[in-house]
Amino acid sequence: MSVAPRLQLEYFDGRSARPQRAEIQLQDGQLQLACGLLNHQYPLGSVRWPERQRHGQRQALLPDGGVLSCADAARWDDWARASGLRDSLTVRWMQNWRLVGTALAMLLAVLLMAWRWSLPLATEATLRWLPPALEQQIGSQALAQLESHWLRPSELPPAEQDALRQRFATLVAQAHPPGQAPAYQLHFRAASAALGPNAFALPGGAIVLTDALVQLMRDRPDAVLGVLAHELGHVRQRHGLRLAVQASLVSALAGLVVGDFSALLAGMPALLTQQAYSRDFEREADAEARRCLLAAGISPRVMLDFFERLAQQRQHAASLPIAFSSHPADTERKRFFSEPP
Amino acid sequence: MSNNNDRTAADSTLGNLSGWPHSQYRKRKLDVAFTGSGSEYFRIWIVNLLLSLVTLGLYLPFAKARRLSYFYSNTLIDGQALGFHGDPWKMLRGFLLLAVLTLAYGFAARFSPLSAMAAFALLCGLWPALWRAGLQLRLANTSWRGLRLGFTGSSAGAYAALLPLYVPAALMVAIQSRLAPGDLKPGDPVAAMLAFSMGASLLLMLLMLPWGVARIKRYQHGGYVYADQQTELTVPTRRFYGLGLKALLLTLLPLALLGALAAIAVAVYKPLLFWMMLALPLAYLLYFALITPYVSARLQNLVWNGTASELLQLQSDLPARPLAWLTLKNWLLTALTLGLYRPFAAVHTARMRLQAMSLMVEGDLDGWVARQSVAQDDAAGDAAGDFFGIDMGL
Repeated sequence: MSVAPRLQLEYFDGRSARPQRAEIQLQDGQLQLACGLLNHQYPLGSVRWPERQRHGQRQALLPDGGVLSCADAARWDDWARASGLRDSLTVRWMQNWRLVGTALAMLLAVLLMAWRWSLPLATEATLRWLPPALEQQIGSQALAQLESHWLRPSELPPAEQDALRQRFATLVAQAHPPGQAPAYQLHFRAASAALGPNAFALPGGAIVLTDALVQLMRDRPDAVLGVLAHELGHVRQRHGLRLAVQASLVSALAGLVVGDFSALLAGMPALLTQQAYSRDFEREADAEARRCLLAAGISPRVMLDFFERLAQQRQHAASLPIAFSSHPADTERKRFFSEPP
Repeated sequence: MSNNNDRTAADSTLGNLSGWPHSQYRKRKLDVAFTGSGSEYFRIWIVNLLLSLVTLGLYLPFAKARRLSYFYSNTLIDGQALGFHGDPWKMLRGFLLLAVLTLAYGFAARFSPLSAMAAFALLCGLWPALWRAGLQLRLANTSWRGLRLGFTGSSAGAYAALLPLYVPAALMVAIQSRLAPGDLKPGDPVAAMLAFSMGASLLLMLLMLPWGVARIKRYQHGGYVYADQQTELTVPTRRFYGLGLKALLLTLLPLALLGALAAIAVAVYKPLLFWMMLALPLAYLLYFALITPYVSARLQNLVWNGTASELLQLQSDLPARPLAWLTLKNWLLTALTLGLYRPFAAVHTARMRLQAMSLMVEGDLDGWVARQSVAQDDAAGDAAGDFFGIDMGL
């Protein structure tokens, strides 16, 4: 290098707000700064160099608090290139539309992979790591919460409850090898009209069955067993806790993407993925119900009656035309349970 | 004046680089310009995001440093860009510390209400100190014309500014915990008492809020330092109440409208109620997309127009309605593009907010010198500010 290229710019010494005209060049691995009669030298590595961008000014930060400022970015970039200052890999990446397009594609791939594999895996790992006692505690808290607001003690005759309990225990025993059945507790409860015929599983293995559901299917107790087996599927796969863990992971991920923009927007992907995951969970639980029924020698087709009566019930109950209740998934579920074994 | 002699001598050697007509020394308006572009920030953002994701978040501080550098180098006050001096490696340290704390808190909160409560109380206790550290660090890492900005607010001041609002909040939390489900039945006098005191604390909170915000802003804007200039906020508290009242009215108006519409629907045409239910989430979003920027624009103007030091006077002339429309547009496009519009939105918002600002300066800036070099390396505070969305209000 015979003549090192020079650049005229403004220099602030870090002590005064006065801009001083200065000239810089790179020589012998040093940044040489000439300002009036003063000469400074800085090792290249000690200077914080600006990143190349299309917009904005260039500022190099000197280790002694001084600042080199070049309002004409193009002039700086020419000088930097001529002086052999190389852009970092990241900067070259960012300044090239084609590479940015690649980055976008990779980003989508990473997000897709995270959604498809990493998230369930991470959830799995977290679930394995959580002590079962904790799950029990969450479940009992949730049940207490529900009982105080929506549930009352069951009004079914104790004999009917015992009979169902007994039949379900038999079914569970038939469907699982000895010692492999998941632990569950069956609770009969009367519920407000809003819940209607319903059943749900809570973390820790609590299964709540409403009186209305038992009454709805009184002449088809096998269908009640099918519903319970579905809930047992949720218990076995720990779906309740899985959803909670997944929700926190998804919202953390979404927070990374649009979090500093709006918490509301960040909440939406979490909500949407939640829906998708819980649909998957319902399918898993349905598969479990079907398996259990078949193992107990009951035709899965008993569930068809249940879906039909539930649909009728909904039509009677809804005074307003609520569009959401026309479950397209119902047909899919009916088909699943009516398939020959 | 020796300063003038210096100047002429300097001018001849410097080629009049910084020369302003001497007659205009007395008072000068410095405009703020923002030159960033959405498409360029989009490229920076995509690569930052990808690197942050594949490093499981470890790249975040570096991404943040790059983002701030970009915005700073495009923020020109009187033609001179701001400088960002933050060290990403130090930011990484603070980030790791905070990530560990937040994860611990998240787990605690999900699985044991008691430990979550303890962690929350601890965070509340530390919060003012963290907030102050964040302000200090952010300003100390910002320079203009080679001089670092600074923040001189004390820790005690931060606690004094924030604690009054803790009182009604703590009351509400305490009452909430007494209102445990199952303990109380409707018609129970204790329940009625609790419900009443809940309402009373909420009212107290509402009444105190403008005063609390005024205290917070007074602390914040009373601690900014540039050269030997220390700012002060001289806005009377009643003006914060005026803004609060406007916000309240703007909230009540749509609610009243909605109530009236619902009443009409019930009386005249019931299916209308169904469509209203469908539109409700949309109305909710619309409300937040419009009201939040409206209030924040008014607040920015109120606060910055009242911020001045001996020789500096800040000005903000941010129109509320355009900001509200811009925000609505940003939300819509961000949602429609599944987040890809976000960097454009950030740039547009920054441009509108920053270009509304200006500075009036008395005297010759060239003569201003740094008060002292302030070195801060408490990056935890900055990371905390970032985590919890606290910033300088700009």
